Amino acid sequence: MKDSSRMDIVKIDATDRSPEIEFDFLNNIYSLSGESYPENTASLYVPLIEKLAGHLELQQETRIEFTFELIYFNSSSARVILKLFDLLDKAAENNEVIINWCFEEDDDAMEELGEEFGEDLVNAVFNLKPKS
Amino acid sequence: MIAQEMWDFRVKLAGEGIIFCYSGFMTEEVLFGIGNTLKKKLAMEQADKRIARGVFSLFVEQVQNVIRYSTELPHDDPDPDYLKNELRYGLLSIGKKDNRYFVACANKVPNQDVTRMRSNLAKIQGMDKAGLKSLYKELLRSEVPEGSKGAGVGFVEIARRATRGFDFDFYKTDADHSYFAIKAYI
Repeated sequence: MKDSSRMDIVKIDATDRSPEIEFDFLNNIYSLSGESYPENTASLYVPLIEKLAGHLELQQETRIEFTFELIYFNSSSARVILKLFDLLDKAAENNEVIINWCFEEDDDAMEELGEEFGEDLVNAVFNLKPKS
Repeated sequence: MIAQEMWDFRVKLAGEGIIFCYSGFMTEEVLFGIGNTLKKKLAMEQADKRIARGVFSLFVEQVQNVIRYSTELPHDDPDPDYLKNELRYGLLSIGKKDNRYFVACANKVPNQDVTRMRSNLAKIQGMDKAGLKSLYKELLRSEVPEGSKGAGVGFVEIARRATRGFDFDFYKTDADHSYFAIKAYI
């Protein structure tokens, strides 16, 4: 796994069981794409979530966009995703936060997961995006 | 002799519709290896994508349940290594019978966990879709660590993915252990 972390951009390449992760803290554009059932969910995600949480707290009237483009994730990863939704919704109290949930057009399960996670959002803008 | 024994075994497995069978220590490497092969097999069969992903999900959650049991043992256990291995030993089968796919897993659990597991699983089994969804989110948001003694989110995931339900059972093997089996259908 290549981990090219600089001060403001974190990019981690996808593996067969973990997604490509791109966190651009400078432009507030974030994405997770691929499959997620890592061997150790906490060691992959916890440092990133902590960094993101700290960063989001400092944002004011900023546009923040997070795109999820996942094909499959296990229940441990679902815990991480819901945590991200909650963090982003909190940040949306004083920022413009957009969450994109992309799924393959014929993947009902992934669409439904998006709906289920999205329905709890109060402040963030949520887009369900089917792709063919 | 050996060949016939193995052939008989194979015939028995085939009779149950079993496509994959694994008995041994459950590790992340095993999960990954069988998982990849399972994906290829389902793609070859041209299984409906939704079914294929559901079967894969049942497989991941069940195997990770077995793996996690070993990691959640109390630290003051008198013989942690022995028990760890004992509990991590699992039996997995994946197959298709009567037009349903199934994923089944079995492993030893401490007898003291049986009552709690049985009541949690029965509760989950009796829930409708909306109930499962809210329990799923509640468990995802709880700070309880993965694989701890609560109603594991893994079992809820299994219930949500198993479009044709799931069965479970316990069988007491000795004074301290029971054999726990779960079989989920799509």
